[in-house]
Amino acid sequence: MNVSDEMLMAYADGEADDATRTLIEAAMRDDPEIRGRVARHRALRQAVQGAFAKVLEEPVPQRLVAAARGAPARNVVGLRRWQPVAMAASLMLGLALGYFGWRGSAPLVTSNGELVAGAGLADALSTQLSSDRTPGHIATTGLSFRAKSGDYCRTFSLTGTHSNSGLACREGGNWKIKVLAQSPEAPPSASAFRPATSADSPAVRAAVEESIDGEPLDQAGEIAARQEHWTAPASR
Amino acid sequence: MSTNASAENIQEQIVVLLPRLRRFARNLVRSPHDADDMVQIAVERALLRLDQWHRDARLDSWLFKILRNAWIDEVRSRGRLARIFMPEEAGEHVGEASIDREVDRLSVESALARLPEDQRLAVSLVLVEGLAYKDAADVLEVPIGTLTSRLARGREALQAMLRLPEGDQS
Repeated sequence: MNVSDEMLMAYADGEADDATRTLIEAAMRDDPEIRGRVARHRALRQAVQGAFAKVLEEPVPQRLVAAARGAPARNVVGLRRWQPVAMAASLMLGLALGYFGWRGSAPLVTSNGELVAGAGLADALSTQLSSDRTPGHIATTGLSFRAKSGDYCRTFSLTGTHSNSGLACREGGNWKIKVLAQSPEAPPSASAFRPATSADSPAVRAAVEESIDGEPLDQAGEIAARQEHWTAPASR
Repeated sequence: MSTNASAENIQEQIVVLLPRLRRFARNLVRSPHDADDMVQIAVERALLRLDQWHRDARLDSWLFKILRNAWIDEVRSRGRLARIFMPEEAGEHVGEASIDREVDRLSVESALARLPEDQRLAVSLVLVEGLAYKDAADVLEVPIGTLTSRLARGREALQAMLRLPEGDQS
């Protein structure tokens, strides 16, 4: 009898149809070699399953449970169009104002109920190239790209004792904050140079991946976009 | 985002599935922390797209698919955006798999980790997660014949690496 290994595999996985099952069971009765091959498939299945069984017994991190229940993610405020998160964002805003207010230059302000870059941050987003790592700026910019909407967007990291990173898009003459995330890492010592965007959160990266159209801008692309004041070409 | 009873109900179903999502993610990325990050991204995406889930489809398969796609995006973005996003980590996360003192007796995990990615995912979905072939094929977005041949090749390679004893033939 000719029984292929794929047939035996399907049988061991409970995927064989009735006819094949009957065939294989008859073959198993007659042929110890077939029995052995089925047993090997089952043993492998058990071994692989057993190796990962312990993951199921681990306590699930609370941040995942919270995420599944729709809580704003760990240190992450997603914006876009939803009211509930917008409220959470205004809490973040309060925090940000608390941290930065004393400098007299809030990086984030609200405009018509939306969170946008304040003057200092907007200036950085409009003028700084991503290669610019000069210390002393209010923020460093990371990645610039065209979003699927056609707008220009840039990631940024606010400098200061609390490292916030985020994504802002140029819409209607403002830099609208799309995502704002507080980096979980401990703040670096005051003197340490921190590559600006190394701490960008998974949320910021996910937002970039979700909205990016094509490839990020290179330096020439940034310079060209800056010349146009980051306004999207009308073709879109 | 909808907060009606049905959405909350799905959220609780997702909570129940979290251990399995974590387990599947461990087959995508080796670091448990990174795996949990992937789960978090996938769950957040799923909640934003609840309207795309068809009630007659299996929630677990749907979430596995989102998780897999999030991982693909992540891998791609690591390649493309590595220079921007993670300059320090760039060289860090590869290479720890290569030092195995007991080459002869690999653990199942490290044997699985050595499989080519398409075989690893097929094995993981069918053998570990217990998905039916058609559901696993759906998660991986391949025809069922592709799934079974990946699965067969993956199994064969695992058998060779693990040298499992012959089953009891009596």
